Amino acid sequence: MAVSFKPIRTLLQTGTNTGSRWFSYIGLGIGVLLLLCSIQMFINIQQLLGGENQRKEGYDFISISKTITNETMGQLEKNLFNENDIKEISSKPFVQGVSPLVANRFRVQLSAGEIIPFSTDMFLETLDNTFIDTVPPNFTWKEGQDYIPIVFSSDFLEIYNVFAPGYGLPQLSEATASQVMVYITCYGANGLQQTFRGSIVALSDRVNSIIVPKTFLDWANMKFGNVHDVKASRLYIKTKDANNPDFLSYLQQKNYKVNKDKTKFGRVKQVLQGIFSGLGIFGMLVVILALMLFSFYLQLMIARSKDNLQLLLMLGYSPNWLSKNVSKQFIPVYILVVLTALVFTEGMQWAFHHFAMFDRPELSSLLHWSVLTTALFLIGLSLLTNYRMVKKLLYKLV
Amino acid sequence: MQLQLQQLLPVYFDESQRNGSEVWRKDLTFNKGEYIKIVAPSGSGKSSLMHFLYGLRNEYNGNITYNNNDLKKFTAEDFAVYRKDQVSIVFQDLRLFPEQTVYENIELKRQLNSFHPAEKIKEMAERLGIGSKLKNKSRICSYGEQQRVAIIRALMQPFDFLLLDEPFSHLDDKNSQNAMQLMLEEARLRNAAIIFADLERIDFFPYTRLFHL
Repeated sequence: MAVSFKPIRTLLQTGTNTGSRWFSYIGLGIGVLLLLCSIQMFINIQQLLGGENQRKEGYDFISISKTITNETMGQLEKNLFNENDIKEISSKPFVQGVSPLVANRFRVQLSAGEIIPFSTDMFLETLDNTFIDTVPPNFTWKEGQDYIPIVFSSDFLEIYNVFAPGYGLPQLSEATASQVMVYITCYGANGLQQTFRGSIVALSDRVNSIIVPKTFLDWANMKFGNVHDVKASRLYIKTKDANNPDFLSYLQQKNYKVNKDKTKFGRVKQVLQGIFSGLGIFGMLVVILALMLFSFYLQLMIARSKDNLQLLLMLGYSPNWLSKNVSKQFIPVYILVVLTALVFTEGMQWAFHHFAMFDRPELSSLLHWSVLTTALFLIGLSLLTNYRMVKKLLYKLV
Repeated sequence: MQLQLQQLLPVYFDESQRNGSEVWRKDLTFNKGEYIKIVAPSGSGKSSLMHFLYGLRNEYNGNITYNNNDLKKFTAEDFAVYRKDQVSIVFQDLRLFPEQTVYENIELKRQLNSFHPAEKIKEMAERLGIGSKLKNKSRICSYGEQQRVAIIRALMQPFDFLLLDEPFSHLDDKNSQNAMQLMLEEARLRNAAIIFADLERIDFFPYTRLFHL
């Protein structure tokens, strides 16, 4: 039996409060628009700032150190990373690997021999090979070997080339620098001293240091510095995204110092995400408000049509059938409102991609699937709240 | 198909009011095909009884059962089925949709569970003398006309019991007889019972049992 709702529609008195109905539709539309735009912009930011910084192997490598304050100055233990610190950092989900940068704990002097009359006190550090961007096969050292391969920071070479002319030293190209044989003299207690030959086997863009094989530094720290277990003052961190807001707030909270420039994007991202999260929440509030307004409208409508509805129930109309059909009346309106908001969001996204971002390939002019899912969810939510409300009110009339 | 009343008494009646009543606090069974006449003066609970039987109110002690199912245990959905398939009523206060036309008022009932095709509306309306009123809003019809609309509406559905609560209060004898004739025909078609409550005995209702409320 197909009972028609058509003759019943006229029994629902909606006439006089068209205004409040339209207000609630518009409110709902604005809320949905705000919410959808916020989600899309949130995703845009992720795609713009997240994807770009994943380098060669898809990871960022950054070094962190403890901030030395007036309170911790001179207290070596407090400024170094201990085992627990390292364990804690590596347990974080946004950290894919940690390697301590271990420095020499004895005096090191470097000279360039006869060719370049240059000699300076130096430092050496060692780092896990997997953290160095350029590791040639000969970057190894065995006890008894008097040659030490060195991975040298390209920044340091640049600095050298800046001050070399002032000291009457020759400027060096990257190729020449690799050919210069340098002499590394290590000094220990009681006049202990040993000189090694060394040469630059690779230049590193990533690591700002002078890196020697770990085997050498472990041995030398023992022999010249009498130290077994050298604690690191710097840690190298391998992470998927150095701009991950969680990662940055963790560093901030632990008071670790990090290269600000590298994470500047991350801070911008953090702020932007904050703004759009706020907007999204605001949008959600507007949606809730609009749904509430709509439910008031429904209550008013049912109160006005109370006599008619009661009579229908009296005649034998099923309250469940009536609730379904009364709430069904609003399906097209809800779908229309959400679709309109979706079209506006798509327009916004297209304009943003085309005019503000000049068709950057990281972004798409089309909406992200999660925005579409949210739109569907909102339609469902509106219909469900509507149906429940009508049903509740109608059963009260029985 | 049986309607049973067991020790029925409205909660707002005191026990003295049952004295002399052939309905209150009695055990009665109404069967299909019977014509029951209930005669009662004003205020003796005629409309209450009709409303109890139709399931509109339940402020009574005792039980009413339909096919051994207690009406007090019916859900809202059960009542919807009960009212569209099994029991039909002509209310004393008519209860029409004032803003709908005569035709729409009748059709709203007919489409719910149609016993007759739509053409029957016009046929019945003409037979009862309101054929020209079908397109008029019911609120501008006279009481007599509205009463006939309510009667036709009640005959649109299948039923086992037809409850009549002073259905002719605004009709003259000729129109009343006419309407009664129609209702008897329709009841016969369904082999249904009529429970007819009124202030006094009416000669043209061929009751099989008579009760004084």
